[in-house]
Amino acid sequence: MRDDPLVIAMVNRAARGDQGAWNDIIERYSPLVWSICLRYRLDRQDSDDVGQSVWLLLVERIGMLREPAALPGWLATTTQRECLRVLRASRRHEHAELPDDQLSPDPGAAMIEKEILAAERDAAVWAAFAELPRGCRELLAMLLSDHPHSYEDISATLGMRVGSIGPMRARCLDRLRQSPHIAAIADGARDKQARGERGD
Amino acid sequence: MNVVTDGWDDEELLAALRQALAARRAVPPEFVEAGKNAFAWHNIDAELAQLTYDSTHAPQLEAATRAESASIRALTFTSARITLELEVTENSLLGQVVPAQAATIDVEAHDSPDTQIASDEIGCFAIQPIPSGPFRLHCRAAGGINVLTGWITL
Repeated sequence: MRDDPLVIAMVNRAARGDQGAWNDIIERYSPLVWSICLRYRLDRQDSDDVGQSVWLLLVERIGMLREPAALPGWLATTTQRECLRVLRASRRHEHAELPDDQLSPDPGAAMIEKEILAAERDAAVWAAFAELPRGCRELLAMLLSDHPHSYEDISATLGMRVGSIGPMRARCLDRLRQSPHIAAIADGARDKQARGERGD
Repeated sequence: MNVVTDGWDDEELLAALRQALAARRAVPPEFVEAGKNAFAWHNIDAELAQLTYDSTHAPQLEAATRAESASIRALTFTSARITLELEVTENSLLGQVVPAQAATIDVEAHDSPDTQIASDEIGCFAIQPIPSGPFRLHCRAAGGINVLTGWITL
């Protein structure tokens, strides 16, 4: 997973000034930055502050990342550091008498590692989904909606016969499974299994 | 063989997709937008060199140059501290940093990996082959010289 060629290509293109590639990076990794802010229980304003700092640091460094594939790890540790900075600044203000270590309950390295893995999986699955034909995206989004739709609903909304929903669902999932984005994380999962760990 | 098919069945794939879509929905759109906008600060430290001469826009001169040498096109990029003189020949792009000094030149192309070239001590360098698509040159030299040209297509 650490040498996902798609991530490397994205980073190299962004480093050369390609705004589209930069947007792809933001789309892909903003959930990672956001989820770490949530873990540190930052409010919206502080999260925006952290996000801004992290992205500006990345803009500055993107041409110098020695291993583009290590981007998620770099983003996670940078976000963590920025979260702690923001927390210290605001809590020091409120409780000037307390030492730092009593102020910032640090969710710790294990949490960060877990968030990176989850974010990588989510990002890869989402990237694969985004490349599906529109019909597949609409169908899968309806099937996975928080308020489940009946096949009759789906049939009426998407203008397809009820009988073809099942087969189309299978074809769309096959297509998703064949995406290089999914292959990249499946390789990672397999390595993990080989090491005798259980995925959650 | 497709390694993935051993991994996720339809239900696992749907569960992974449900999770991925939920993770994205959780992020406020303004948070994502702010991230995209941060790219406006890309290369803030590099000074942009302006194209101040292009032989294709100076037809008489181009004809004269052609008659005397193998030069096909000449370009000049000017910044506050240095000037980059470029000359396109049949199979290479020749350049010189003015005033003469050793420099490092990155060739940044849209469609191929960056290549780095070191000039000689008087600032002369050669790029071979000539980049086929749009590219720009990023020139760094002693004293904090950090200059980026606009995009060039030859």
